[in-house]
Amino acid sequence: MPSPKPDFILVDDSRLDCLISQKVIKNTSKHATVQSFNEASLALEFITNRIQEPDHDLTIIFLDIQMPVMNGFDFAASFEKLSETIQALYAIFMLSSSTNESDRIRIGNYSCIKHFYIKPLTREIVQEVINTSCKD
Amino acid sequence: MKNPEKIKVLYVDDEVNNLIGFKASFRMNFNILTAQNNEEALAHLNVNPDIRLIFSDQRMPDKTGVEFFESIRTNFPKPIRILITGYTDVEAVIDAINLGNVFRYVKKPWSEADILTAISQGNKFYVANMLMETKNAELQVAYDELDKFAYSVTHDMRNPLLSILGAVNISNDIDDLAQIKEMLQLIKESVGNLDAYIQNIHDYYNVNRGQLRISELNFEDIVKEQLESFRLTAKIKRVNIDTNIVQNETFRGDAMSMKIILNNLLSNAFKYQKKDSHQKNVEVSITVDSGELIMIIRDNGIGISGTHIGDIFNMFFRATSQDVGSGFGLYNVKDALIKLNGEIKVDSVLNEGTTFTVKIKNK
Repeated sequence: MPSPKPDFILVDDSRLDCLISQKVIKNTSKHATVQSFNEASLALEFITNRIQEPDHDLTIIFLDIQMPVMNGFDFAASFEKLSETIQALYAIFMLSSSTNESDRIRIGNYSCIKHFYIKPLTREIVQEVINTSCKD
Repeated sequence: MKNPEKIKVLYVDDEVNNLIGFKASFRMNFNILTAQNNEEALAHLNVNPDIRLIFSDQRMPDKTGVEFFESIRTNFPKPIRILITGYTDVEAVIDAINLGNVFRYVKKPWSEADILTAISQGNKFYVANMLMETKNAELQVAYDELDKFAYSVTHDMRNPLLSILGAVNISNDIDDLAQIKEMLQLIKESVGNLDAYIQNIHDYYNVNRGQLRISELNFEDIVKEQLESFRLTAKIKRVNIDTNIVQNETFRGDAMSMKIILNNLLSNAFKYQKKDSHQKNVEVSITVDSGELIMIIRDNGIGISGTHIGDIFNMFFRATSQDVGSGFGLYNVKDALIKLNGEIKVDSVLNEGTTFTVKIKNK
């Protein structure tokens, strides 16, 4: 099986959680690239201005919910306003410690959010996400 | 002359003589307003929201007393309604209770004793209702806070635990000791975050439910003690600390609240510094003079943007993701100041710094 080179973007205000997620991703997929953003607005800016070849695998975004200034839902709402071509390059997964029912229900309002995972990120989750998002 | 202590009573009757008689009998002990018709009665109700009791005659040309009571029920639910009538018609009584929500029924011609009993009992009922309303409002606030609290607890307490779990999971796959040590460092940080959060909840409880313990405060000592816990941070981050304490008189206040206020403001001043600045300053200035404490905490850090400054005292609000914070600190500060009858003012310019000014009266 050819090993994929998935790109990951982490959006989480906790530096600690970013570091942990980064380690888990690297441990699961050696060739993965990981970029962390502690502020959702910076991640959005990065995505908006990024130039990428359309043939590239999907970039996987792990998105936290509770963040100051711009939270996960605000990010998703702004993401859905980006052009279709940009949106098509990303797969967004919520990654949160929230077990709050209202958060889960709210996720249904955002079609860009593929799935909801509860922290901490594990190798199994990373593998599952790679399998569903990458071509081979 | 109007006495604000007197209970306000409105009497509605189309016969002027009755109004005069009523006013003459009771104006010494109560603040009596009279109205000859619905319109006048409504005018009184509109400008006197503190009317506690309304007496109304049943038989009036424009509306019956019951109809009048029914018409004001929605807009003026607070006053206690008492019907005065010569009738002993059962239908009228039933209507009075069911439609007009009448508290009592006084037979015509009334005796002074009847009216006095009605006023006294009606007033008791009114006071009990108001008390319940205040309690209900307080309960609503408490419930709302509890909701926010429950949400935050699941997030702010679970998050550090899940970080630890994540670090442990990774460590299981690592054989390299140096990397494991790195994980241990992360775990330590997480434990620190959780502990800080619990400390915040403890402060919250102390401020909200604790009793004030007034004693004489020496601000040299208090500031010294509080700054002690920031010495290490200041050293690592290279922050200069300036203190200026002028205490001209003994100050009586609650030591616990004072520490919570000082600790949170200082913590923010150290936390929200500009990372690459070579001249990081925190300035503490305390003056106790002429029966008032003025505390100024100034930093030249990242500042707060105008769009966020109105929200910084709200529970769980965070204006930045620089450094860890629970969104609890300034809320606790504000709460403590409300309890102490103090005030707090914030001046901030983005990228230039923030100044908090606290004023508390000597007890």
